[in-house]
Amino acid sequence: MTRICEIAIPPETVAAAQAGDQAAIEAVYHATASPLYTLLRRLVRRPAIAEELLQETFVDVLEHIGAYEGRCPLPAWIRALAVNRALMYLRSPWHRSLEWLDKDPGGADRLPAPEREASYEAGLERALMTLPAIARAVVWLHDVEGYTHAEIGLALGRTPSFSKSQLARAHARLRTELGDAAAATEGLPCTPT
Amino acid sequence: MHADLNEWSGRLSALAGFDAPAGGWVAVQAARRQRESRASRALPIAVAAAVAALAAGLGWWLQDTQRELALAATQEIPVALASAAVRDENARLEELLATLPERQVMRGRTAFTVAELEDRLALLDDRLSRVTLEPNAPERAERLWRQRVDVMNSLVHVRYADAIGTY
Repeated sequence: MTRICEIAIPPETVAAAQAGDQAAIEAVYHATASPLYTLLRRLVRRPAIAEELLQETFVDVLEHIGAYEGRCPLPAWIRALAVNRALMYLRSPWHRSLEWLDKDPGGADRLPAPEREASYEAGLERALMTLPAIARAVVWLHDVEGYTHAEIGLALGRTPSFSKSQLARAHARLRTELGDAAAATEGLPCTPT
Repeated sequence: MHADLNEWSGRLSALAGFDAPAGGWVAVQAARRQRESRASRALPIAVAAAVAALAAGLGWWLQDTQRELALAATQEIPVALASAAVRDENARLEELLATLPERQVMRGRTAFTVAELEDRLALLDDRLSRVTLEPNAPERAERLWRQRVDVMNSLVHVRYADAIGTY
């Protein structure tokens, strides 16, 4: 899986995109869309919502590309827009009203049951999706996207300590979901300190 | 701790990614057009709403002011010139009108009729305030008072019908 920050966009494409060149922005879209979509799929469970958030993120890019000053790589700037969009959605009453559907065992997003999991990855994916939305966001942003606790706390409107505690609890829950055997095999401590 | 975090980072990063939906860029452009169209519609709607609110406020203020002026004019009317029966009837209708609930929101037709009757009352009150200067003051005042009672009567009927919801 390619991480967004690992994507290299040629400086001339970045410059053209900053100038509002549509073809350059389209090139940036094609370079970053899949990693961004992966990020959004990890943050929100519903594929249709992730797709809509991806669209909205790039509409934001088209509208605000002039505000990009080049202080960070362009993919990182776009990622910040996507994360903001996703967190806004997670905090919205609309999302909270749909949460009960996600808990429905017959729901559309149901993942394979443990006994039918073909691999450790499938089990991890299922375990990840059992986490509450905010805990899952903290795990993904910290462990995969490399956000610091201070950055996560800021994005969530909470403290860095909140992010730390959410991460510790989420790791413990992932371990439980994956089963004691997996944790024992790898000799992992139960609770990160 | 760091070994644990690195381990989770490695495991989660190893999960397969998702391919972006096909036709995504076309969908982005469609979403942008939709947002622009929403924004271009929102401005005229906001302006129209502001104008409507202003007009409603102005209308209410004008009506209120007119009513106050009419009341003030009525108080200055030389009532002594009119017969006691007409004055009593006028007072009775004024009291009756005061007891009827005044709705902030009226149907357009009702509001128009009420406004028209109040205009006529204001005109009559204006004439009554100057009637003492006229040569045939007593007769003229009597006639104007009777006209005023008729208009008041109509106004009471309209307001009453509006209050009970049949107008």
